[in-house]
Amino acid sequence: MTPARRIGFALLWLALLALAGWAIGSQLKLSGDLRRFMPSAQTPAQKLLIDELGEGPGSRLLLIALEGDDPAALAAQSTALRERLSAQPHFKLVANGAGFGLESVPERLRPYRYLLTPSFDDQPLDAAYLRDQLDTRVQDLGSPAGELIEPLLASDPTLEMLRLAEAWQPAQAPQTLDGVWFDRAGKQALLAVETRAAGFDPTGQQSAIDAIRGAFEQARGASASRITISGPGAFSVEIGGRTQREASLIGSIDSLVFIALLWLAYRSWKAPLIGGLPLATAGLAGLGAVAAIFDGVHGITVAFGFTLIGVVQDYPIHLFSHQRPGLSPWASARSLWPTLGTGVASTCIAYLTFFVSGVDGLQQLAVFTIVGLATAALATRFVLPALIDPAPRDVAASVRLARVWSALARWPRLGVTSVSLIAALALAVILFVPGAFWQNDLAKLTPVPDAALARDAQLRGELGAPDVRYIIAIEGRDAEAALQASEALLPELPLLRQRGAIAGYDLAARYLPSVKTQRERQRRLPDEATLRAALDSAVAATPFRSDAFADFLADVERARHAPPLTPRDLADTPLAVSVDGLLLQRGDHATALVSLSGLHDPAAVAEVVRKHGGQLLDLKQASESLVAEYRGRVLLALGLAGVLLAAAVWIALRSPRRVLRVLAPMALTTLLILAVLRGLGVELNLFHLVSLILAAGLGLDYALFFDHAGDDRAEQLRTLHAVIVCSLTTLLVFALLGLSSIPVLRAIGATVALGVAFNFVLALLIVREPTAMSDADAVDAEAGDAHA
Amino acid sequence: MSSVGSLHAAPVTEPALAQAAASSLPAPDAPADANLILPRLAQPIPARTDFVEMRGSALLKAPLRVSGEYRRPDAATLVREVRAPYAETTTIRSGAQPGQGEVSIARAGKPAKKFSLSRAPELVSLQASFGALLGGDRAALEQHYRLSAEGTRRQWTITMTPTDAKVAARVREIVLLGRDDELRCIETRPARGNEQQRTLLSSAARAAAGIDDASRLAALCRGHGAAR
Repeated sequence: MTPARRIGFALLWLALLALAGWAIGSQLKLSGDLRRFMPSAQTPAQKLLIDELGEGPGSRLLLIALEGDDPAALAAQSTALRERLSAQPHFKLVANGAGFGLESVPERLRPYRYLLTPSFDDQPLDAAYLRDQLDTRVQDLGSPAGELIEPLLASDPTLEMLRLAEAWQPAQAPQTLDGVWFDRAGKQALLAVETRAAGFDPTGQQSAIDAIRGAFEQARGASASRITISGPGAFSVEIGGRTQREASLIGSIDSLVFIALLWLAYRSWKAPLIGGLPLATAGLAGLGAVAAIFDGVHGITVAFGFTLIGVVQDYPIHLFSHQRPGLSPWASARSLWPTLGTGVASTCIAYLTFFVSGVDGLQQLAVFTIVGLATAALATRFVLPALIDPAPRDVAASVRLARVWSALARWPRLGVTSVSLIAALALAVILFVPGAFWQNDLAKLTPVPDAALARDAQLRGELGAPDVRYIIAIEGRDAEAALQASEALLPELPLLRQRGAIAGYDLAARYLPSVKTQRERQRRLPDEATLRAALDSAVAATPFRSDAFADFLADVERARHAPPLTPRDLADTPLAVSVDGLLLQRGDHATALVSLSGLHDPAAVAEVVRKHGGQLLDLKQASESLVAEYRGRVLLALGLAGVLLAAAVWIALRSPRRVLRVLAPMALTTLLILAVLRGLGVELNLFHLVSLILAAGLGLDYALFFDHAGDDRAEQLRTLHAVIVCSLTTLLVFALLGLSSIPVLRAIGATVALGVAFNFVLALLIVREPTAMSDADAVDAEAGDAHA
Repeated sequence: MSSVGSLHAAPVTEPALAQAAASSLPAPDAPADANLILPRLAQPIPARTDFVEMRGSALLKAPLRVSGEYRRPDAATLVREVRAPYAETTTIRSGAQPGQGEVSIARAGKPAKKFSLSRAPELVSLQASFGALLGGDRAALEQHYRLSAEGTRRQWTITMTPTDAKVAARVREIVLLGRDDELRCIETRPARGNEQQRTLLSSAARAAAGIDDASRLAALCRGHGAAR
């Protein structure tokens, strides 16, 4: 093959990758649903968090503020925004204070007001009551609001519908100016929007927020007003965007560094191109495999996966560095294969343990990495040699490298004693440094800026939006049972509010009483003859005509015989949104939720709720316990992986001494990384753990290659060259990540960068065989060997 | 009511009359012009006026006759005190900032109900339009209504047509009837139906004392009563 052919072949490969990338990309369903990355829920709170609240009301609520213009203009924009957003499929509910009155109930359900209202639970609908009501209605008619009330009276002389609409208003509704919600200062128009997408579905939230911003741009016109969007979804989008921007900036810098380093190391512009091919192939193969096996690929799988297969960048580098004149690339690849293969195979076997974790996301990750690593290794072995030009020079002949080597050869070699001592020291630091070991608070991984949090708290207070941490849950075998159970709380909640334990609450039973309660109310309503007699005697003494309220008699009679309302009957009414969000029905059971706002005394609330068979769930605590459980599974998988890895290396090398020498650097490195992180007061999270796996994989490769080089000086020089290039590229990539402002990227970067540095040094100090070429070296080596 | 029950508050009657006389044009039969009439309706504060209101409804045996007094103790407050056939005092206080206003409704034998003006849009429009009317503030009225005048300067009619679609859905037009610089009657015509609401003020309200008959009140409103 000529050089031109070879580069043509490389470009063809690249083109195929681009094509495959496009094909996979168009098929790929990226899911941001965190639940796929969580173990199955055990406690009720976990179940609620994972199974139900993932799409629950609190996490899907976006709070919107419009400001920067006069109230009338803001109100008009709020109305326009509401109209535009209501028409879009992204949103379940768009509320701005308008139209939450009588229009909530369609005509066909109006007679049900007598079953929905608690007015007649203690006060019978008799002549005395009607008389008092009618007198009041006369005054209402003569009042400035008379024309509004007049059309309602014929069928509803007690104004039951108005009372219900008033009761359905959010307990802490903001003030209304020009017909829409405003903050107390009258400067910001407020809206509350419930998205269909779950709060931690970044893609769904992103499109919802894009839709809001688009609609606002249109509604705003030439006005100078501004929009603020807050809430869990907005935060996840904001953090996601920032992570993506930083990651892609770091990624671009890294690509440049990779290209420059490879070009420098091999004096060939082709090296970076060819060197990048295995990584790209591995990534696409992994992604394709996951997409083919699983229903949707989790975003975290992709992020973690690409981190973990970063190790394959080293494969072509080993091949390049072992090139020398007179040796065909094929022969070189063949001689490296046992070493490379051992590393890849043992790592892949280790990843198999993720399959037993029982967590969908981890299984995806295992498929991704195993397929990726294997593909890259096979590509390096069987395809890459076809692309490499025969080497014009041997790096082992480099004078500068030889000088570096001599300097390194003078370093002391670590024997069993020193390794054990360092390990003991590291362990002591890990165990005895004060401070929390694990970080369970997911929120710390995605920190929201203080200003945004303060803004969120302000909007939440103004809108009386529900607490996102605490919620009351009452279970029942079906919706009716859950409704009945939650009705027991109806008298208690106002008391809690009076005591200042909570500022507001909302529950489905506020809108829709249980069938049992509705039937009791039906029984209490007077029959037609009784009511007619009572009405006649009441009307006689008023200016009203005797036949004015025929519609009222008909409505009460209809209410007495109507089948009680169930959640299904509310479909397509604004009430359905409130009821569905607070009454979760899942096959064989139902959960009635009570959302709380301004919760000041969780203990008092919990006690009252317990008395009525419900519980106050702390979702933050639930998510933390899930994280802990998840970490337990990862740790178990890691322990198992360590055992499998050691076994695989044992089988490949078959010498206890060599096995120990190869495994020692990565084991010690793991301890040292943990010691440094703990020493610096870093709380460990899942991203640290996953990064430890990558660091261990890198260390294993370095050690295996030094082991492979044996005591041949030229081979050692080539291996040193390869490992220097490998570790430099990796170190630069992850050191940059370590400087990131995003905790997730920082965790990955710091861990791997530390790992590369320790592994490199320890591989030299522990694995390298002394060469017989120089006397000084030989003396050192003998001293080291005596220890080993 | 007493002689002070005009739209002019008693303490300031003299200067106000003097001012009205001074600005009176020499041609009382000249065509009516809202631009000239409205500013002259302006009332110095504090102001008060009697009213008689007729509200018709298909539900009632006869139109409801309500009488009492409108007061403007200060620029930000409008009081509507009903004296017959029942006692009710509605106080609408607009706040320093939009939406800070408060309404209180006190009825005989019941504790006063207080609520934010922002919860009662119909009272906001009453406060805005009635206040503007009593303040002679044509510009404020024209924010919400199209104005057209008929008749002569002596006996005039100003028709206010709501420009806001939401108001127009309820109210077809509001007709102001007056003589010289006195607003005597406000007729509110609903968008649906023919049951109109009629509010007689000042001398018309005084003349209506003891009259229950709807058609006689309508005639009073239309100006067939005694000229001042």
